[in-house]
Amino acid sequence: MSDGTYAGGPALEAVGLGKRYRRGWALRDCSFRLPAGRICGLVGPNGAGKTTLLGIAAHVLEPTEGTLSVFGAAPGSAEAGRRTAFLAQDKPLYRTFTVAETLRLGRELNPGWDQRAAEGIVRAGNVPLDARIATLSGGQRTRVAFALAFGKRPDLLLLDEPMSDLDPVVRHELMGTLMAEAAERGSTVLMSTHVLAELESVCDYLVVVAQGGVRLAGDVDELLYAHTRVSGARNGEGVPADLAHHTVVESRTGGRQFSALIRAEGPLAGPWDTDSPTMEELLLAYLRSTGAPPLITPTAEVRTGTQAVAA
Amino acid sequence: MSTLTGTPATATTASGRRPRLRGMTWLVWRQHRAAFWTVLGATALLATWILYRRGQMLDFLGDQGWPGKDIAEFDEKFEPYAAAFGPVTTALGMIPVLLGVFVGAPLLAGDLEHGTARLVATQSRSQVRWLATKLGVTALVVVASTVTLSVAFGSWWGPVKDQINVMDWTSGPSFDTTGPVPVALTLFTVIGGVAIGLVLRRTLAAMVVTFGFAVLVQFVWGELRLALGDVVTVTTHKGVLGEDTFPRLPDAAYQIDQSYLTGSGELIGWSTCVHESTEQARELCLKQADVVGWSVDYLPLSQMTGMQWLGAAILLALTAAVTAFLFLWGRKRLV
Repeated sequence: MSDGTYAGGPALEAVGLGKRYRRGWALRDCSFRLPAGRICGLVGPNGAGKTTLLGIAAHVLEPTEGTLSVFGAAPGSAEAGRRTAFLAQDKPLYRTFTVAETLRLGRELNPGWDQRAAEGIVRAGNVPLDARIATLSGGQRTRVAFALAFGKRPDLLLLDEPMSDLDPVVRHELMGTLMAEAAERGSTVLMSTHVLAELESVCDYLVVVAQGGVRLAGDVDELLYAHTRVSGARNGEGVPADLAHHTVVESRTGGRQFSALIRAEGPLAGPWDTDSPTMEELLLAYLRSTGAPPLITPTAEVRTGTQAVAA
Repeated sequence: MSTLTGTPATATTASGRRPRLRGMTWLVWRQHRAAFWTVLGATALLATWILYRRGQMLDFLGDQGWPGKDIAEFDEKFEPYAAAFGPVTTALGMIPVLLGVFVGAPLLAGDLEHGTARLVATQSRSQVRWLATKLGVTALVVVASTVTLSVAFGSWWGPVKDQINVMDWTSGPSFDTTGPVPVALTLFTVIGGVAIGLVLRRTLAAMVVTFGFAVLVQFVWGELRLALGDVVTVTTHKGVLGEDTFPRLPDAAYQIDQSYLTGSGELIGWSTCVHESTEQARELCLKQADVVGWSVDYLPLSQMTGMQWLGAAILLALTAAVTAFLFLWGRKRLV
């Protein structure tokens, strides 16, 4: 059941997902699918609804509209609950519990608990097992929360800003643990982050959400391949005519230089230097230019019956 | 639901005879163990004190030849023993409020405020099970504590319950501390506090509001207490002025009302004709008013147990209603 090699369906699928709070919509019209076994970065500006999306997947929030399924099951079901682990941004733990008691909480409440893996993560950070949670530093607490999430042996690991309060060395080490665990078990990871550099080395899948829904979703290689960075001498205002029939995600002029990130819709004509963008450049371009048309690659596209929901 | 058929709540380890808590029960006990142990410890202390004072009182009564002699004959020698009930009943009376505020209100509010409700919700057990375990373990502790105290106090007050100068059985200090009443009253206040915490989601606010709620419950309960009884009316037809005209009520009966009875069966106030200056004028006045005797309403002590169970049943029904609300609301808002 939880061997991770889930054949057929995606690990996570959102269709027209939306969540409205009293102050307005936090997430709207969000449709994408995440194939099983991928490590997916969830990127977006503050307030784009990343935490909301992860919360709905972890069943700590109810969507206002649309649906989300985890391995084909509703987030509230016992099946989805057993196969999903969630590391919330504020990493809630019982402050009066010791580290050992916190791990016992995981053991008592999860049938597939892996005490050795959980203890290993804690010990790697030299966190004493008999220390109370309240006495730990922020980074140590994050490590314990990580251990709790990993010990559950989830098929889908949902991480909300997991590394925000870790120093670079620990961050690197925990990312390594994450990668090794995910690779060994074939788990799927959906991880929101602000640290773009972190994504490049870890993620092989990407979902960018911003106001109005999903801006970018798909395989990292495919997404990078679909985009081209062009630069050349500037002549005149605005986007040059020979780039007009391509999709220009972002363009900028600096002095006599013109550069742009485009989605080439055919052969590129003109005296342009072309280059492959880095993931960071791609993300920044999409985060800065909210008007750019979204790109959802076929593996990330939701197909509901005859009707394709994501454009 | 598969999550409801998990590991049993307790299992005995091979090494020791001490039962080991498991699963959700372990978590709930571990989280609230300080509060639970405080309640149980304070209960043990108070119950020990009650039994000690009971022993003292029974020793004294035995020395004085009770039960052969009436306690009323002991006069002021018995007074310190009667006075000993005061502080204990005050402490017992505060239990519903204290447990409501310090056990009930923080039970869910703390988890909702600090995000640990989300931590539990994202493990493999259902939230309904978490809620049920929290309520179950808390109710168990509350019932264990209040039943112990009710039985202990009942055994102290029981021998002197018909002594109106010790305590009036219809008053809070005796009615609310014996039988099923303290159990039901405390359960209702605690579960009410839990519900307030679930709605407010802030520990301190929940405790403050629960305090108000608990005091209100005590007040309303005090007002309704007498209404639980079946009022007995006794009438006489021997006039109202002579020596033995007033009806004899059973021992420890609680008199609710008294009035004059007229020949036509009407009741008029017992202050009728009270302002006449001479005995003869008063007699004449009463004759003109056609007063033939007394009519007295009272509640006999024999009704006490029935009244307590009726009141407890009402409180437990309310508790059940609040519990149903907790599950309905908690299904959506327990994270």
